Amino acid sequence: MTRQSPKIGIYGFTGCAGDQLMILNCEDQLVDLFGATEIRSFVMAKSDNHEGELDVALIEGSISTEEQLKRLKEIRERSKVMIAIGTCACHGGPQAMKLGEGKWDEMYKKVYGNAKINVSKAFEAQPIDAFVKVDMYIPGCPIDKGEFLGAVSKLVAGRHPYLYKFPVCTECRWKENPCMLYAGKFCGGPLTKAGCGAICPSHNLPCVGCWGPTDDLNVSSEYELLKEKGYNPDDILKKIRKFGGAKVAQLVKDLEKKEAKA
Amino acid sequence: MNELNVEALSRVEGDGGITVTLDGKKVKSVTLDVHEGPRLIEQLVKGMTPADDLNVIPRICAICTLSHRYSAIRGLEKALGIAPPEKAQLTRELMMLGENVESNSLHTFLLALPDFLGYPSAIAMLNDYGDDVKRALRLKKFGNHVMAVTSGRIVHGENPVLGGFGRYPSKKALEEIKLKAHELILDAVRAVELFASIEYPTYPEAETLFMSVNAPKKQYGFAGETILISNGKEVSAEDYKKLTSERVVSHSFAKRSLYQDKPFTVGANARLINMGKRLDGQAADLFKEHYSDRWLKNPLLNNLAQAIEMLWSLEHIPEMADKVASMDNPPIEQPTRTTGSGTGAVEAPRGTLYHHYDIKDGLIEAADIITPTAQNLDDIEKHMKLTAERMLADDKKDEEVRLGLEMVARAYDPCISCATHLVTLKRI
Repeated sequence: MTRQSPKIGIYGFTGCAGDQLMILNCEDQLVDLFGATEIRSFVMAKSDNHEGELDVALIEGSISTEEQLKRLKEIRERSKVMIAIGTCACHGGPQAMKLGEGKWDEMYKKVYGNAKINVSKAFEAQPIDAFVKVDMYIPGCPIDKGEFLGAVSKLVAGRHPYLYKFPVCTECRWKENPCMLYAGKFCGGPLTKAGCGAICPSHNLPCVGCWGPTDDLNVSSEYELLKEKGYNPDDILKKIRKFGGAKVAQLVKDLEKKEAKA
Repeated sequence: MNELNVEALSRVEGDGGITVTLDGKKVKSVTLDVHEGPRLIEQLVKGMTPADDLNVIPRICAICTLSHRYSAIRGLEKALGIAPPEKAQLTRELMMLGENVESNSLHTFLLALPDFLGYPSAIAMLNDYGDDVKRALRLKKFGNHVMAVTSGRIVHGENPVLGGFGRYPSKKALEEIKLKAHELILDAVRAVELFASIEYPTYPEAETLFMSVNAPKKQYGFAGETILISNGKEVSAEDYKKLTSERVVSHSFAKRSLYQDKPFTVGANARLINMGKRLDGQAADLFKEHYSDRWLKNPLLNNLAQAIEMLWSLEHIPEMADKVASMDNPPIEQPTRTTGSGTGAVEAPRGTLYHHYDIKDGLIEAADIITPTAQNLDDIEKHMKLTAERMLADDKKDEEVRLGLEMVARAYDPCISCATHLVTLKRI
């Protein structure tokens, strides 16, 4: 008996299309990927797209119009598993960095004046889990080929993928990189999820936080390191909310609360 | 009155569609609608440090990520009085050559070619054109590799910074690039032959103007301080607003640009029309062989221009890699002032990309980003309207008209996600 190839849909919302591009960038595996799965919909790559029931929906981008929201919900209804790919879908991305600060309307007006919008109402970008249930998160700006392909191959084989749960600091230790913080550079690594291979510190540059917040339970000690180096919570937040937005803010708030209790 | 709709325009980056409004056989309007949501990037970077801005703005577009970064670096370095070391400049040129190979191979083969050969995707072409698809993937992978070696990773590499690079590429990595580039030149030549052999439909043909950055020293290249216009004029990049007067239109998310009230084209065809005589090597020979007056009218020939340009980029990678490898690694140059203004202009694969910054006391006071797509949208619509009119007059079926219009849109490859000014307006 042959296993039926899983039906996959790949969709993009508000973002840079970089995660879909990373899928196209899997040059060595692209042909196999299209062979092992049934790619039902991938608008960026092909024009014969069919909607319908899906085993896996891969969603890139944040949601920032009513039209997108409707579409996202519709995809969710016909998908067994929904995976957020990339920082925008997982955490909102740069366009959501000030989410919850209430300044969006003002900024919007500065760009577009009082122009009347009657196609689809726009709103401040939010991660997809603000609206629908998300089964799995593959963060990254953009996603890492290895992590993505690893996850997809596990899914095709009917197994649960393993994704990194620790911060970038762990990857720096693996690579034996000298610590940026000890070199006096403000590094986002302690609060940022691993998976990129600590690329920036490997280039003598501090981590910019583009994978969003880590969900490691031991992140407190990493956070302490940042504070020991003299950075206050506001500075830390300002530095790394560029990608993680409201979720980074929540992480920092939780860590502060935990500390206050202790 | 009826409507012919291409609801989701496939094989482009980002979310857009085309709406054609017909009155009998008369075409009332053709609009390229951008459905993508607003991001307000220029507003969000206000108050950031230039270094933080440089982390955010490449995220405008994944394919042109290094062009955005380079354009911003040029604008910010001018504003802050930073003179980049020669090695940094050459490494930046190398990364732009890599991005050009990556983007042009992706665009020509994977996004545009299936239209001309009648397939829904490059993957569907595998059985009949397997060698060409594999060739495309080899070229794209190599372009990506050059981007990764210079910028730190394939997409959104953070290694190019103000005043230099975090870490310069190793001699070993540069040597590998050099050897691989030589190996792939035949693939690029074959790409030119393939795109030269296509019979491009004449439907979209109409005169237009072409603009591109003037590379210094009368050489071909992707960055400079002035802009060339195909009418013979040359304008300072700092005067970019005169060239790209932006406006909001009723049917699109993205703002538009006109030059003296007329649409114009930016992209590989514009570059070759304005600077084709400066090419050298096999690219120069093939350009001479295939260039004709049709280039001035037919936007579909942009794909042939991209193939020729990709060959030029590939031919120049070894020389550039050698130059970079021969130099010692300089330290990162620091700003000499904290207040100032500057405009960066580079040729992204899709065309001229401007980044203008005003900086006050070390923080971004204003950012203005004008993307190639914003400049091309009016011209795309102009050529699409003609295509629709002429195809309908020729009694073409709706399905054929639809494909004809998509072909025009994809020839320019509107990078819809890169239109930073995103809004949907539709006046009733």
